[in-house]
Amino acid sequence: MIQLHDVGVRFGARQVLDAVTLSVPRGGRLGVIGPAAAGKSVLVKVIAGLVAPTTGRLVIDGIDVTGFSEERLAPVRARIGMLFQNYALYDFLSVEGNVGFPLVRRGEPADRVATRVRDRLRAVGLAGSEAKLPSQLSGGMKKRVGIARATIAAPELVLYDEPTAGLDPVTTSKMYDLLRADHERSGATAIAVSSDVAALITFVDTVVFVYQGRAHYQGPAATVADAPDPVVRQFVRGALDGPLVG
Amino acid sequence: MKLVIDSLFGRITAIGVYVVGGVRATFELWMVFVGTIAGIWRMYGRRGASRPTGALVEQLHIIGNRSLLFITVTIGFIGMVMIYQACLQFSRSIGDLSQVGVQFVRLIISDFGPTLTAMMLATRVGAGIAAEIGSMKVTEQVDALRMSGVLPVDYLLVPRFLASIIMTLALSILGAAIMYGAGGLTAYLSFGVNPRIFFDLSFVQPRHVILGLLKALAYGAAIPIVSGFCGLRARGSSEGVGWATTAAVVGSSFAVISLDFFLSVGALWLLKGDL
Repeated sequence: MIQLHDVGVRFGARQVLDAVTLSVPRGGRLGVIGPAAAGKSVLVKVIAGLVAPTTGRLVIDGIDVTGFSEERLAPVRARIGMLFQNYALYDFLSVEGNVGFPLVRRGEPADRVATRVRDRLRAVGLAGSEAKLPSQLSGGMKKRVGIARATIAAPELVLYDEPTAGLDPVTTSKMYDLLRADHERSGATAIAVSSDVAALITFVDTVVFVYQGRAHYQGPAATVADAPDPVVRQFVRGALDGPLVG
Repeated sequence: MKLVIDSLFGRITAIGVYVVGGVRATFELWMVFVGTIAGIWRMYGRRGASRPTGALVEQLHIIGNRSLLFITVTIGFIGMVMIYQACLQFSRSIGDLSQVGVQFVRLIISDFGPTLTAMMLATRVGAGIAAEIGSMKVTEQVDALRMSGVLPVDYLLVPRFLASIIMTLALSILGAAIMYGAGGLTAYLSFGVNPRIFFDLSFVQPRHVILGLLKALAYGAAIPIVSGFCGLRARGSSEGVGWATTAAVVGSSFAVISLDFFLSVGALWLLKGDL
């Protein structure tokens, strides 16, 4: 279970997150939505331990990991996979090298890594792309390589930062089909940040609406379009008139 | 009056922010150095360490082999110009050129060889390290490394640090030799200085060699630390990488000059001026 208690993040004079409290049960799927620069990606990075909260606590499976050093965070991160907004594929490694990297770093034998990489690439529809470099891939292919890398070590929690940004609607649907199938098989907890609310709610069961650095609303994904909060309703429906600022 | 006080407070605050930022950056630079030393222990020192030789060999090639032509040409030209100017001044003032090579070789070994070689490396290698690490930082590749349980300093800086020390030492020796040889050739061709007199090493003492090697060692350590630190501080997009690269070249060059000054002063103090 992931729990955030009054988490605040400040970058210089700017309060990016302010008193965010939320929890995600084991196996749950949380969607993080909100306007641009609301703090969604920072929230995910706090959960990954990549950004240290200025205030508040992050608890993962009952262990308070707030303030953990990089060395102490390593075993926590070993249970987390992450798809980055801009893919974050290593330029200097092939697709095979990128996907297998987490396993290689754990000292897994080369033949086992190769088998797992082949399996994962087949699962994301990229069989035969092992030798390609990231620069030879399209945006959709890079996302799928990112997903393969994030999930190859069978993590208990997978964080997706904008898994479908820049993708066409058909590829977006395929991507969420892939994520759904993956999570139904693995049972892993998922937290996905996306600006494409309509597509996101087909994958997650709960959403949190981050607005002006705060967890403004939390509720079931299926009914978010009819949320009692007018700001949330305006954002989800994409209405021009309403109380939403920014 | 209130305006004056507000303006004064504004300036004091601005100075304070600048000072605090400088102190924080210095502390972070120090922590990168400490982290790199700890990384060497983690990766190569302790029992059961991974000892990734492939990354080290690759960096030795990038830092050393690929700098060879650049160092040879630039240091060779600098040696020629310096000896030409020295011969010109000696011939105008005392008219005796027999001491040019004898005096100059000590300077080349203890100072010019390692320092000018390191200055050249600071521009080529420092910019490369900062650009590479900086672009990895702004494209979240450094965060991806952290998510895979890799300490960025270990993976990115340790091989560059070790390779830079080894290759700065090697290239400094080579640079000093090239500078001396090119200078001797210039002195012979332009002023007719007998090569046997010019290439007289009898006045070179072990302390000159030790000081030169110590400087090369210090420069080789400083360049990747300063450049890696600048790369890891890159923010935003390509503009941030550009800033990091510029800062790395300026910072590395400044580090080389500062280390040259402090090591020379230290050596003069230890040897009571007999350098």
